[in-house]
Amino acid sequence: MRKSSKYYWWLQIGGWGLLALILILINLLFGQRVDEQFLVGVLVKVLVGILVTHLFRIYIHYSGWLQLPVEKALLRLVIGVLIVCLLDTVIRIRVIQWLDPNAGGSKYLFSTRFLLMTVENGLYIIPWTLIFFFFHYIEANRKQQLDTLKLEALVKELELKTIKSHINPHFIFNALNSIRALIDENPLRARTAITELSNILRSSMQTEKQETVFFEKELDIVKDYLALEHIRFEDRLKVQYDIAEDTLTQPVPPMMLQTLVENAIKHGISKQVNGGTVIIVSRMKNNYHQVLIRNTGKLDQSANEDGFGLISTRNRLQLLFGDHANFRIREVNGNMVEAELHIPLT
Amino acid sequence: MIKAVIIDDERLARNELKKLLLEFPEIEVIAEAANANEGIEKIDSLNPDLVFLDIQMPGKTGFDMLAELDKAPDVIFTTAYDDYALKAFEVNALDYLLKPVEPRRLADALHKLHLEENREKEGGEVEIQANRSLLHEHDQVFVKDGERCWFVKLSDIRLFESVGNYAKIYFGSNKPLILKSLNALEERLDEKVFFRANRKHIVNLRLIEKIEPYFNGGLLLEMKGGEKIEVSRRQTVKFKEMMSL
Repeated sequence: MRKSSKYYWWLQIGGWGLLALILILINLLFGQRVDEQFLVGVLVKVLVGILVTHLFRIYIHYSGWLQLPVEKALLRLVIGVLIVCLLDTVIRIRVIQWLDPNAGGSKYLFSTRFLLMTVENGLYIIPWTLIFFFFHYIEANRKQQLDTLKLEALVKELELKTIKSHINPHFIFNALNSIRALIDENPLRARTAITELSNILRSSMQTEKQETVFFEKELDIVKDYLALEHIRFEDRLKVQYDIAEDTLTQPVPPMMLQTLVENAIKHGISKQVNGGTVIIVSRMKNNYHQVLIRNTGKLDQSANEDGFGLISTRNRLQLLFGDHANFRIREVNGNMVEAELHIPLT
Repeated sequence: MIKAVIIDDERLARNELKKLLLEFPEIEVIAEAANANEGIEKIDSLNPDLVFLDIQMPGKTGFDMLAELDKAPDVIFTTAYDDYALKAFEVNALDYLLKPVEPRRLADALHKLHLEENREKEGGEVEIQANRSLLHEHDQVFVKDGERCWFVKLSDIRLFESVGNYAKIYFGSNKPLILKSLNALEERLDEKVFFRANRKHIVNLRLIEKIEPYFNGGLLLEMKGGEKIEVSRRQTVKFKEMMSL
């Protein structure tokens, strides 16, 4: 059970216990008899009270009154309290009769006694209800504040990380270093490399504004990116494209392919002494746009499902396409890692 | 002339550094390596004075490579932006260059190196190394223990302790583990300075604080760091011989 239900039982038993104590004390103070019959009466009062208020609580939880706005809950509560008081009376009369069948004949009429007992119950049940609701509103309020704070922190963290994750600074500085070496060795290539790098930087700055872009645009960035990485890795990086024409105008989340290809380089190619291959496949499959990114290497089990890149990819797909989109990453043929995107057609 | 080796997995990065080093005629690049294993080979066979070392390489990182060497040469690390490596540098104040390398920073790093080298030469006699594989007290080792790493001069190590296949080395307030057996270490260490006190310990004779007699005609050494090491009876004879010389 939840933590709050532990408090509930302490309060419930403590409260009713206190009531019993007060009733006994009052009787003692005013010199009335505290005999077996009186004590049994108190015990019945307390036990039946616990029983009906507990049923009341179950019903409140069941019908969700705690989530209602105050004005709507109020009317229901008044009726609820009335019913609970009546119920208490009925049960108590039954129990007392069952315990002592001769006790019925007192100085009052049955209807008067019934009314008095119900009013008396109101004295216990109404405060009980007020305390119960007071407690719950405080708790709910506190929890809400805590949740709001947590949410704010999470949003901030995500914002920061997505901005950072778009372009890896390690890549930028390595690319700049390669380009500087190329200036003497192959000035023409150095010039195109600078254009490629500018394209990547520009598109990474624009991504925040759009929800989706054409796959073709995304692919252009990746081609520039891989061309730059090819300068750095030379023969150690081989790239293959297998792109179906009709997928070029499909919408995809910006920089998603880029992030996955960057991962393929960072966790795959750059860890292989002899390098490897990156294969990008884009095609239509069963009314889905399927994108595959394969790279030489092994799936790092420890960093696997928890990596920020993977989580953010999943979250973005979920936000944009709901359950219609899909993402998974797995090892194929023992020496390749394959990331797979399923995006619904529009 | 300073003999240097460049270790970096990118050919262009090596070329760029070589080009920058042309400005420094006292540095001669005698070899290049494209990964850690090649690097170890080149260092073992050519015994360079200085190594330019990239951190992020396929297979093993630069730190892992250094930790495998018996004796670490002077090293200048080169790296592009990298959180993990930069943190290691900050903790240990190792000298590093960020790629693309700024010529002035390179000059500073080399200058610092010369200063240290001159100081060493002034301070101690320049020994002719008859046996190159022997480790001298001026030599340094690279020690990596989890995220932390150090260059440690052998003369600063007061105690080697055997822990299974590992050896725990004591210097300053640190005692990291290195993957070397005590027997292998004993063979390589200069016996004039490093003495095998018992089955489990090798002590640095220059860093002994106190010597006391012990049971059975043995000795108890107290090291500068407060560690108490027992000298076995057999080794006590040898120890006394050495100290009386």
